[in-house]
Amino acid sequence: MKVIVVVSAKGGVGKTTLAANLASVLASSGRRVIALDLDPQNALRLHFGVPLDSIDGLSRATLSGDAWQSVMFDGVDGVTVLPYGAVLEDDRRRFEAYVDHEPHWLAHSLSTLRLDASDIVVIDTPPGSSVYTRTALCAATFALNVVLADAASYAAIPQMERMIEAYAAPRPDFGGVGYVINQVDQSRQLTKDVLKVLRHLLGEKLFPGVIHQDEGVSESLACDTTLIHYDPLSQAAADFRACSQWLMSRVDSIAVSPGSVV
Amino acid sequence: MSTPQSRSSEPAVEPSRLERVVDARLWSSTPVVVCLTLFALVILYFVFTVPLEFSEQLTFATCCFICALLFRRLQGRYATLVMIMLSIVASGRYMYWRLTTTTYWEHPLDAIWGLLLVSAEVYSTIVLLLGYFQTAWPLKREPMPLPADRSAWPTVDVFIPTYNEPLSVVKPTIYAALALDYPTDKLSIHVLDDGRRPEFKAFCEGVGVHWTIRTHNRHAKAGNINEALKITSGEYLAIFDCDHIPTRSFLQIGLGWFLRDKLLSMLQTPHHFFSADPFERNLGTFRKVPNEGELFYGLVQDGNDLWNATFFCGSCALLRRSMVEEIGGIAVETVTEDAHTALKLHRLGYTTAYLAIAQAAGLATESLSGHIGQRIRWARGMTQIFRIDNPLTGKGLKIGQRLCYLNAMMHFFYGVPRLVFLTAPLSFLFFGAHVIEAAAGTIAIYALPHMMHASVTNSRMQRLFRHSFWAEVYESVLASYITAPTLLALINPKLGKFNVTAKGGQIEKNYFDWAISRPYLFLLLLNLLGFITGLVHIYLNLGVRSEVQTTILNLAWTGYNMLILGASVAAASERRQIRAVHRVAMKMPVMLKFSTGRTLACQTIDYSEGGVGVELPASIQVPMHERVTVSLFRGDEEYAFPATVGFSAPGRVGLRFDEMSREQEYDFVKSTFARADAWMGWAEGRQQDTPLRGLSHVLLVGVRGIAGLFEHLYGDLRGFTRGRPIDVKKLETKKD
Repeated sequence: MKVIVVVSAKGGVGKTTLAANLASVLASSGRRVIALDLDPQNALRLHFGVPLDSIDGLSRATLSGDAWQSVMFDGVDGVTVLPYGAVLEDDRRRFEAYVDHEPHWLAHSLSTLRLDASDIVVIDTPPGSSVYTRTALCAATFALNVVLADAASYAAIPQMERMIEAYAAPRPDFGGVGYVINQVDQSRQLTKDVLKVLRHLLGEKLFPGVIHQDEGVSESLACDTTLIHYDPLSQAAADFRACSQWLMSRVDSIAVSPGSVV
Repeated sequence: MSTPQSRSSEPAVEPSRLERVVDARLWSSTPVVVCLTLFALVILYFVFTVPLEFSEQLTFATCCFICALLFRRLQGRYATLVMIMLSIVASGRYMYWRLTTTTYWEHPLDAIWGLLLVSAEVYSTIVLLLGYFQTAWPLKREPMPLPADRSAWPTVDVFIPTYNEPLSVVKPTIYAALALDYPTDKLSIHVLDDGRRPEFKAFCEGVGVHWTIRTHNRHAKAGNINEALKITSGEYLAIFDCDHIPTRSFLQIGLGWFLRDKLLSMLQTPHHFFSADPFERNLGTFRKVPNEGELFYGLVQDGNDLWNATFFCGSCALLRRSMVEEIGGIAVETVTEDAHTALKLHRLGYTTAYLAIAQAAGLATESLSGHIGQRIRWARGMTQIFRIDNPLTGKGLKIGQRLCYLNAMMHFFYGVPRLVFLTAPLSFLFFGAHVIEAAAGTIAIYALPHMMHASVTNSRMQRLFRHSFWAEVYESVLASYITAPTLLALINPKLGKFNVTAKGGQIEKNYFDWAISRPYLFLLLLNLLGFITGLVHIYLNLGVRSEVQTTILNLAWTGYNMLILGASVAAASERRQIRAVHRVAMKMPVMLKFSTGRTLACQTIDYSEGGVGVELPASIQVPMHERVTVSLFRGDEEYAFPATVGFSAPGRVGLRFDEMSREQEYDFVKSTFARADAWMGWAEGRQQDTPLRGLSHVLLVGVRGIAGLFEHLYGDLRGFTRGRPIDVKKLETKKD
């Protein structure tokens, strides 16, 4: 089981969209993929055609002690979707307190699913520092940090690095962090300049391509699907494919490296 | 010669038994070599001279040819060497027989024609043998990497000499020079403007390169470079003709050998052309049949490299400043300053090198007349060198170098021999002259092996760079023009004049160049008359067997000559060029972004300075005049260009760029012409050459040329009878 946690220090960078599309591409390439939503916005499911009025999710299941299997949905491409679930404010606080008290809750819960070594869990998290990001990092095999080619994203990189340093890096089975630059429009000079700086700063950890800004990405969400179904010929779909390939080569190389424990 | 140790380190490739025998150490000891050489020469003398009866010669020749065909099935260079040897045997026997038994002429007329033909044959045989020597073992040099530490890299001056070419032609070259992957503090770019034009000055200052001028224009390009040498100081010079656009990797790929070989004075890379030359355009062979220059840059230069005799070709080359200065700069005595410069460097004992990797590309000559003008200059220049600084004599050259230079110069004397071959059978058909005093059958069993071995062997050696029988076409077109300048220059090197080839123009209409094709038309007419005379002659002498045989032999020769001339005529039939800018076919990733914000990931079909052609997936069609942003990629870099749809079809779209800023023009050159892999795989998809396939292709082109000629003639005559003045520019022809 490979747990890929999609994180970012800053909101609005297209994290959920990226997580959903990567999960979709990975599943269509023949791997078993579970898309797990740890963001109270509960938006990941919408990319996979889970009905808008559905309130089931892992938050409610955890609080009521139900098995995760009872809240799993079969999404497009055979992605198994585990939504966050719709909860009242009190329940959310209870759930967060529980997760805060049990940082390894997620890792334990995942281990009960008895997944194969090659199966992939893609976890979407809320932006910035939170109990969700912490518990996700405690279970992560690989952290994927989504950034934009702008100054705010650049400035927020160290914050996320500190969290990864604290929660994920000490574990021997943690495979490292990768960066993806999202929503790039290279007709803007500022974008080009920041890209140069980011490439220099992040070096090998950075996905060598970028994810281009593409109207089709938002349109696909409006149609309850992912981009590779909505507009498979678009540049962003090509970018998602390239990114998932890069991601898999990174993640699969973790298993073969000696000393790692799965 | 590789030792067993070095071979064992090479993985997988098991040397063949033949190669193991040839690579044995025994052969490298001097006494063995001397004894074997003497022995081989004696044997060769016997093989050439031993008299054989008709049936014996026939058997011997057949056996030799079957051997050659069997060896042709084997891979590797040793099999090629065996084929060369068999070819030399066949040619040697033929020439010995030809010179000793067929040169007793009864009539003075026979003697004149006969002597001309014999001389032409001797010439071709010498050039054949020199060619074997020159290209038997191409060196296939690999690039030598520069040291990892960039601070150890030498300083380089890039020279771009220009005289009257428009700025639009020179701009891409300047941008590409700026895009060279090299530390900027070690690179200095100079545009050597002999036209001293203000717009060049403004542009150069704008993009940050040196605009270098002088007060006079003495010695044209060579003088221009020599003046620039005085005011620059880089350790090396890279010279690019103003329309040769280098790739970004040029310096890094080329400079390594200079650091390794301290005697290396010059490194040449191929001249690659991304537009069709007149032959390719008018004969429809662009990228299908290797063009005239490919033999030289693909094989001859690589063969020269083995003998340390690579020639400097004036552009796309690197030179070591100290050595160029030692010979007094670029040579100015002849109109081919480049070849003479290399000769001078060789005389001082310096080495030269050739890298057969296209690292720059340019426009081919536009029209046939321009092309011919350029070849005349080369032929004159090489003849001048032959006269004033003959490579056979003088100090400093090794025998291999002398022979390579000799072949390079002899090659340009093909004018007279080619004309003799094109007219020789006519002497019999018109005047009944027996130029070869032998029966037709005997001629066949000696001459045919000579020609067939040469064809098969050359096809094997040159198949990637020159298809069989195409040399005949190229030479026939040029022969009438090259003859006088070479002969004049041979008499007095000063005769003749320098001319600059016009490039970047456009042929507006289809037309037939009557003026340039006058010699071929004349020869064609002669051959046609000869052919008819021959037919009549056969009809009148049906009873005399020997007469009929001889006439048929001459008729076959005349028929062949007519078709070769037909191909020459076809080359003079100028086809209209559809666009002013040339499209370069190249597949590379491209992103289209539409005004809706949606995108498409596609591949380019081609690019030109004005836009790109893009292949759309799944037969998508884009509306005309739609605004699109085109993104081209180079490694990590992405360059976005605003464009408009100018052509649209299902699955294809042509995009015209909007007016580009300087920055964008620079980005465009970086992401297209200057790509390191821009000219790789140029010959992909070509048909494999065999002698028969080459022959049938050439003959087909010849038939089409003659048919086309009559079409033009008909069209032009109609125009004439309607009372319009003949204006070649207005003549319409069949559109294809």
